[in-house]
Amino acid sequence: MAADKQTFDEVDWGQITGESDRELSPNFLILLAGTAMLLLIAAFDYFFVTGTYDAAIGMDFGNQYTPTFDIIGWGYDVTQLDWLFAFSLLLFGAYVVLPLYQNPRMSSYYWREMKRNRPAMVSLGWLIFIFVIGVLGPVVIAAPRADLAVQYQPPVLLSIDTVYPIRCVGPVINGACQGTLQYPLGTTGDGKDIFNIIVYGMQISMKIGFIATLIVVSIGTAVGTVAAYAGGLVDEVLMRYVDVQQSFPTFILYLLILYIWGASLFLFVVLFGLFAWEGTARYVRSNALAKTEEEYIKAVQLSGASTYRIVRAHIVPNTASSIITDITLLVPTFILAEAQFAFLGLGDSTIPSWGVLIAAGRSDLAFAPWITLAPGMFLFFTILAFNFLGDALLDALNPEAEAESE
Amino acid sequence: MTDEPLLSVRNLKKHYPITEGILSKQVGAAKAVDGISFDIEEGETLGLVGESGCGKSTAASSIIRLEEATDGEVIFNGGGRQGRTRNQDGSHPNDITQFEDEELKAFRRDAQMIFQDPSSSLDPRMTVGSSVAEMLLVHGMTDKERRREIVEDLLERVGLEAEYYDRYPHEFSGGQKQRIALARALVLNPEFIVADEPVSALDVSIRAEILSLLNDIQEEFGLSMLFISHDMSVVREVCDRVAVMYLGEIVEIGDTEDVFSDPQHPYTEALLSAIPTPDPTLDRENIELKGTVPSPISPPSGCRFHTRCHKVIQSGEYDLEQSDWRALLTFRDKVQTGEIDPSSIRNALSGEDMDPSDVDDETVKTQLRVEFDLPETLSDRDAESTLQTAIDALAEGRIEDANEELSVFSTPCEKEEPAETDHGNGHLSSCLRNQSAAERAEPAPADD
Repeated sequence: MAADKQTFDEVDWGQITGESDRELSPNFLILLAGTAMLLLIAAFDYFFVTGTYDAAIGMDFGNQYTPTFDIIGWGYDVTQLDWLFAFSLLLFGAYVVLPLYQNPRMSSYYWREMKRNRPAMVSLGWLIFIFVIGVLGPVVIAAPRADLAVQYQPPVLLSIDTVYPIRCVGPVINGACQGTLQYPLGTTGDGKDIFNIIVYGMQISMKIGFIATLIVVSIGTAVGTVAAYAGGLVDEVLMRYVDVQQSFPTFILYLLILYIWGASLFLFVVLFGLFAWEGTARYVRSNALAKTEEEYIKAVQLSGASTYRIVRAHIVPNTASSIITDITLLVPTFILAEAQFAFLGLGDSTIPSWGVLIAAGRSDLAFAPWITLAPGMFLFFTILAFNFLGDALLDALNPEAEAESE
Repeated sequence: MTDEPLLSVRNLKKHYPITEGILSKQVGAAKAVDGISFDIEEGETLGLVGESGCGKSTAASSIIRLEEATDGEVIFNGGGRQGRTRNQDGSHPNDITQFEDEELKAFRRDAQMIFQDPSSSLDPRMTVGSSVAEMLLVHGMTDKERRREIVEDLLERVGLEAEYYDRYPHEFSGGQKQRIALARALVLNPEFIVADEPVSALDVSIRAEILSLLNDIQEEFGLSMLFISHDMSVVREVCDRVAVMYLGEIVEIGDTEDVFSDPQHPYTEALLSAIPTPDPTLDRENIELKGTVPSPISPPSGCRFHTRCHKVIQSGEYDLEQSDWRALLTFRDKVQTGEIDPSSIRNALSGEDMDPSDVDDETVKTQLRVEFDLPETLSDRDAESTLQTAIDALAEGRIEDANEELSVFSTPCEKEEPAETDHGNGHLSSCLRNQSAAERAEPAPADD
């Protein structure tokens, strides 16, 4: 043994005076820096970008339209929902993607486990596709615009009787208007490009998924672990509140708010996020309670670690697999709920979401079924993909169970 | 160096309250550990043995303060605490159960624990290296490189490789995990280690390796150890002294050699008789303990072992075979607790095609005797007539009467709590049989 090598029995603990057992992990630093940046831009947006006077049409938009990045020539008005979305992406990056990179051994183990499940791999591919196109697509593709002149154009390879569209963009064969690549998925009754709407819809679905998840997971995990670890009265109060909330009719509250302030996606996501964490909290609590009895938690307690450390470094990571599985079941419910509300006309009908599109095609089903079918298919496959993935993740993320069964 | 022991446990108790109702009113307590005392010298290994559920593990976690003890003292004189004397109010500054947060954290560096199940004692989502290094981090070593260096060195010392630092627990075998657990217990350089059944979850082939590793480490670093086990043969290998626990109390304590060669408590005898011997021709009494450990919520009166003791003392009036006396007392206890049900015996005897009421009383009586190992007639006439009356009453369904009849049988063991008897050389036992007749309230009958 080399003389200059550090060994455990030569440590002079009297000299080590550090009191804190908290280290700033790179993940936390990234999150911190990212959040600071977001806050800065948001503050800039709030204080300096107020009202726009459009000289071309000689109209003052006031606070209706405030393109945040007007300076660099990007006329996009960042909404509250976008800020939240950016923040949840940041969290996702720092605490889901980055750890996978930091722990290559564990990641490759998960990957091997996942690979065994073919439907899950296809689902993962699909979801990554939706995510990437959804996030980047709207940046390059123009927002869908109504143009009555090109209404009811059929998708590629399909055709429609010429009595429906005002003008047929493609060739007319035997009195039927043929689809063209200009509108690969056709257009709606008011001439919006369905392909564009679907791409924008991807982003909306991802926003719903990420933001609602962010809210649910942060509240649910906090309440669950606190209840499990504090026990006694705190546990009782928190869990009884969860009972109350579970029986609370969120839908009626949503309707009420909708009639007072009008529908908006932001309202939907935040409201349903805030009223959907009970299941997660219960799940986390029972899981945390089970983990507290594990010997490794006792071992950490014996090290003299603080309760915060035990919860943060051991309880939460070890309940993560069940949280993630829980999420893969929650996200589809949110996306589906948005579509249902849109279909019932209870959503924000101005946004280009899949649900709105499905609702828009409702009256044209007889002659232009693609208006409803195209977004319907995307919705269906996305939800299916989440379910398959959740199933596979449940198996893959549990190294303990795997080791025991071998 | 002083002559005070490294650790001395005095009258340690751990009771779990049993509560009822919304107001959590305490209606009783499970006395998992009920007043145990022992000392552990520097560099010594004390074995704590006993059946499952006798309170060994609870004792361990109370001593190391994973759980708060109900009563008693645990005085730890290691870690530069030697030579401190008691305060004015009688409390001891080295009493672990009274440590404040800061001192407790310092104590964590002096005493560590190895757990039973290696597969659950390591966080499955952490590399084993970080699991071990976390101990250093918790105690303020913020230098990451230094932590890694120390842990890698330690992994090599416990017979693993430094590269294992980045692996996860599921990549290791049970024996390797236990080595890692040992490394984690060692990394803070403690003076005292509690090993809670460290090898009972391992394959027999790996046990020896881990035990010899423990032994080497102990010698190299002069560790003291509390070794908990239910396996007497392992205890014999490892321990300098051994304490036998039954239902929350220590019934016998002494040097391993003394206890193994000359057990003074019937319970110890029974445990020792369970060790397999390599020589099948060796004639040895095999003592089978009947029944289960009684509930710690309402432990038996007097000597806690009397409900199962094969050497339970006979009352002066009778002179029976020891096995018959045991059977008689067991029978009495079962009648008392209402566990004997003549009608169910009738049902069982009648089979399917007979009416239970057709089974005659004689058959039931014979069956009762067979079931409780009672002989056809007891050698003592008085005892036999009492027993016969009781069995008659039982067969006729008069359980109360039977109970009353049987209550004349009693043993001093259930009335009197045994005091400690010193057999020299620190060998102590708590059994009435070892106390001289003069010390006992009841006159002692010849029991062999």
